[in-house]
Amino acid sequence: MTDPVGANKSRARFQALCQSLRPDLLRFAFWLARDRALAEDVVQETMIRAWKAQDSLLDEGAAKPWFLTIIRREYARSFERKRFVTVDVEELIAKEEPMLAAADEQELMELRSAMFKLPDEYREPLVMQVLMGYSTAEIAAELELSNAAVLTRLFRARKRLRAMCGEDTSLDPEE
Amino acid sequence: MMDCGQYRLAILAEPSNDDAELRLHLATCHECTRYTEQLRRFEGRLDRALRVEVNPRMMEHRVVTPLRAPRSRGARPWDPPHRRWLAAAASVLLGTAVAVSLWLAAPGRSLAADVVGHMAEEPYAWARTEVPVPEARLDKVLTESRLRLKASAGLVSYANSCSFRGHLVPHLVVQTDAGPVTVMVLTHETVRSAVRFNEHGYRGVIVPVHGHGSLAVLEQGPNMDIKAVEGVAARVQGALDWTA
Repeated sequence: MTDPVGANKSRARFQALCQSLRPDLLRFAFWLARDRALAEDVVQETMIRAWKAQDSLLDEGAAKPWFLTIIRREYARSFERKRFVTVDVEELIAKEEPMLAAADEQELMELRSAMFKLPDEYREPLVMQVLMGYSTAEIAAELELSNAAVLTRLFRARKRLRAMCGEDTSLDPEE
Repeated sequence: MMDCGQYRLAILAEPSNDDAELRLHLATCHECTRYTEQLRRFEGRLDRALRVEVNPRMMEHRVVTPLRAPRSRGARPWDPPHRRWLAAAASVLLGTAVAVSLWLAAPGRSLAADVVGHMAEEPYAWARTEVPVPEARLDKVLTESRLRLKASAGLVSYANSCSFRGHLVPHLVVQTDAGPVTVMVLTHETVRSAVRFNEHGYRGVIVPVHGHGSLAVLEQGPNMDIKAVEGVAARVQGALDWTA
């Protein structure tokens, strides 16, 4: 027999969990898609799927990677539904300028624009590491790569990003 | 012993790496110390850059507004066993009789039951909000069913393409002064005339749409009377544009 009080409590807890993770999930989706509307759409779909599958989340501590996996799948599905044409990064930057702008900090805006220019394979692990706090092993598991491959991508991502932002890269190592 | 190239390669991939070998190299290399400081400043900026401001309007969407869970009425502990059996048998007979009479009286009833049943699958849609669903999402849902919706429908706060009786149908939530009202555009379900229903806390109406199936419009709770729900149904029906 179902326990309605328990079920309501469990729903409320799941709702609170969704709300607490939502900002970072939106940010992750934004950096993945480089499109605010698509990111919001992907996160909304993710929440619907997560709600339906909430019983499969056995440990609340594992919620972040659980949601992130759903987001990545949902984002991939958006490609199946829609055939995207070649992306012009400058157009993307212009379109998302309000999101990329940072009050009084021109260099943050430059850094965000540079992030848009990073290839997906470098941008995604970097966002997982810096924004989502993933370890190399966790990124490797999520992206189905070896630890060494993840480290190479992270190294290349930072190297390119620093060069694009006009950082002093004279001491940066060669591969 | 690690050299400068190896150290910088490792630290550039993982600036927070605190491995003992890295620390040992850092303690003995002035240039790598300078490099690490510069890299950590960059990391601080990168962290702030990635934390773009999240649209506060998006955060206003409540994920879940839990439905009232159905109350289960267990047998009273002092009932003798044969009374419980009799009560159960009577309930089954009565239930069957009521179901048959309702089905005979109103063939649209089972459609209403399915619509109400579907509500339990998306309880988070019943949020009272002034935040519209992203336009791109609404367009997508409507386009999938070859529909357009004029602004006269009112503020749409939720849109999803839902599987209903084997078809994908638009499930929308329209905000009204009295609260959210759900609209399901049932292009594959026809009814001969408007059918009112009141089931499991949901009151609504299924109205026929000539040549395009029907429209189920329902509300939850005591905020709105059925006439107002019918008013919303008429308004949404007038705002819908079937493109095929």
